[in-house]
Amino acid sequence: MMLLRLAWRNIWRNKRRSLIIITSIVVGVVAMSFVEGLSRGFLKQMFENQLGAYTSHLQIHHRGFNDNKIVQNFIAGSGPVTTALEQNPNVRYLSKRVIAFGILSSASNSAGVSIVGISPTDEANITTIDESVLEGRYLSGQKHEIVISKRLAETLGAGLGDRVVAMASTLDGKVGSEVFRIVGLYQSASSAFDRMHIYVPLQNAQEMLRVGERIAEVAVVARSIDSVGAIKADLMKRLDASYEVLSYQDLLPSLLMQMEMAGQLMWVFYLIIGLAMIFGIINTMLMSVFERIHEFGVLKAVGMKNGILVRMILLEAFLLGSVGALIGGGGGILINLQLSSSGINFAAFSEGLATYGAGAVIYPVISYPSIATGMAVILLICILAAMYPAYRAVRLEPINAIRYV
Amino acid sequence: MDIIRTENLEKIYQDNGVPVHALHAVSMNVQKGEFTVIAGPSGSGKTTLLNLVGALHVPTTGKVYFEGEDVGTKSKRQLASLRLHKMGFVFQAYNLIPVLSALENIEFTMMLLQISERERKERAFALMEELGIAELAGKRPNKMSGGQQQRVAVARAIVTNPSLVLADEPTANLDSATGGALLDLMEQMNREKNITFVFSSHDPQVIQRGRRLVLLRDGRIERESHAGS
Repeated sequence: MMLLRLAWRNIWRNKRRSLIIITSIVVGVVAMSFVEGLSRGFLKQMFENQLGAYTSHLQIHHRGFNDNKIVQNFIAGSGPVTTALEQNPNVRYLSKRVIAFGILSSASNSAGVSIVGISPTDEANITTIDESVLEGRYLSGQKHEIVISKRLAETLGAGLGDRVVAMASTLDGKVGSEVFRIVGLYQSASSAFDRMHIYVPLQNAQEMLRVGERIAEVAVVARSIDSVGAIKADLMKRLDASYEVLSYQDLLPSLLMQMEMAGQLMWVFYLIIGLAMIFGIINTMLMSVFERIHEFGVLKAVGMKNGILVRMILLEAFLLGSVGALIGGGGGILINLQLSSSGINFAAFSEGLATYGAGAVIYPVISYPSIATGMAVILLICILAAMYPAYRAVRLEPINAIRYV
Repeated sequence: MDIIRTENLEKIYQDNGVPVHALHAVSMNVQKGEFTVIAGPSGSGKTTLLNLVGALHVPTTGKVYFEGEDVGTKSKRQLASLRLHKMGFVFQAYNLIPVLSALENIEFTMMLLQISERERKERAFALMEELGIAELAGKRPNKMSGGQQQRVAVARAIVTNPSLVLADEPTANLDSATGGALLDLMEQMNREKNITFVFSSHDPQVIQRGRRLVLLRDGRIERESHAGS
């Protein structure tokens, strides 16, 4: 306790110097927490947008559809799938979809698209497409209605009320087409998604593709994202090998890897900030040791062993780091808390963010364990930085140190 | 019983590459309970001798025995332990720890001995009362006079009940009245607690008080005398 008191008082011998180093630690920790929160918020948004816009928690296909999305790989009878899903208490919503790559043409232009046939009510339960409609309205369930993105509408030179023609290969190897009237224009967080996806009534899509009652997939939302694994395991037991059950982890491997990598990259960031700080701390501790050479000589003369001297110097560095890390960690939490509700508007970069599937407003996500880890890293750096000054103090001969003025 | 015995101590320093012979074949002994003054003019080697006796320095040749044990055979760690357990030091410039109060400064060496905080405080305060400096307990060194600081330094040196207290020019920075009072205090501790004191000083007041005098000149013992002899 006395050593702690002594170390604490020692760091305040030169208030200005200690405050400068504490400030640098505070700035470092706040920067680390902020960048970490922002990065997590960005990735979380990308992830949630992906799940919410289309992917959902689970998808069930006929085996092979995920690799080769052709009508021949549609599910012939969705009965066993829907029965299995309805019997699983962890399943909240499901939506049947028909998906086909084709062409959408207006009077003036054409574009390659992914035609998604949906039951409007079911799809609204599992994705945010109904909420993404900016102009016009969402599908009502009437035949020959189509919702396309604003971006695609601009490409096609079409607008609300205009007629467009969708074409795609049919099950019997011919080309099927259907005329639709644009009833709504949507905009999601991802520009790439918007350029590709158009929504039509499920029955229209089935008729156009001449697939009868066949569907491409059943998309599922679980009651909790944590139960996705259990649902998948249950479905794999209940359904035969002609089906493939894919969780969001299977469907979005690159995004999940990106999220994991971002977490690891934070360590590099911590390291860079730590390296920037370590020299400042070494300098401070060295100055502090050199100023006290005479005093250390006296302490050694009266019998202070090197181990205690080292402990005292490391404790001083630890306390300096603790003050900085606590203030910085607190500041980081406060900033992230404030910004996690208000968000940070990156409107100037909205086009670039849309490419990554993130919105213009990013909401930082606080991770208390990460902030605690960042603080611990800083403390470790402080202690490491004090090793050399402590070594210099240990090397002092008491008699020479006492004479030092 | 000899608490200290030196045999043919030689100490040669290198001063900018020039060897300086600080001590020549100094042999002396100090018995338990003595109040000894090593005196001599500046440069006579008295501080060097005190440092060798205090295990702060290693002789070039010769031996120092403390309570019969050859100090030269001990490691640095063992020497630190010897100084902590058996010796007390009083320096010319007091050398109290500036960020600690008088009470805490006295407690400090007991902390190094891993004595519990409660016992430390009790012992330190009791000693301060005994020495008449209890009112300084909460004061830091920069709020104390030189005499007060040196009294606290004496308390720090004796609080662990050492066998030997080494005092290097303890009155050099004090006026004669304050120095006299300090010496009274040390004499009292010598008498009441049978602590052996060895001073290095050229202060006539200290030399006068010494019950044994070792006079050094040019690194050699010129004369040894006992009070009354």
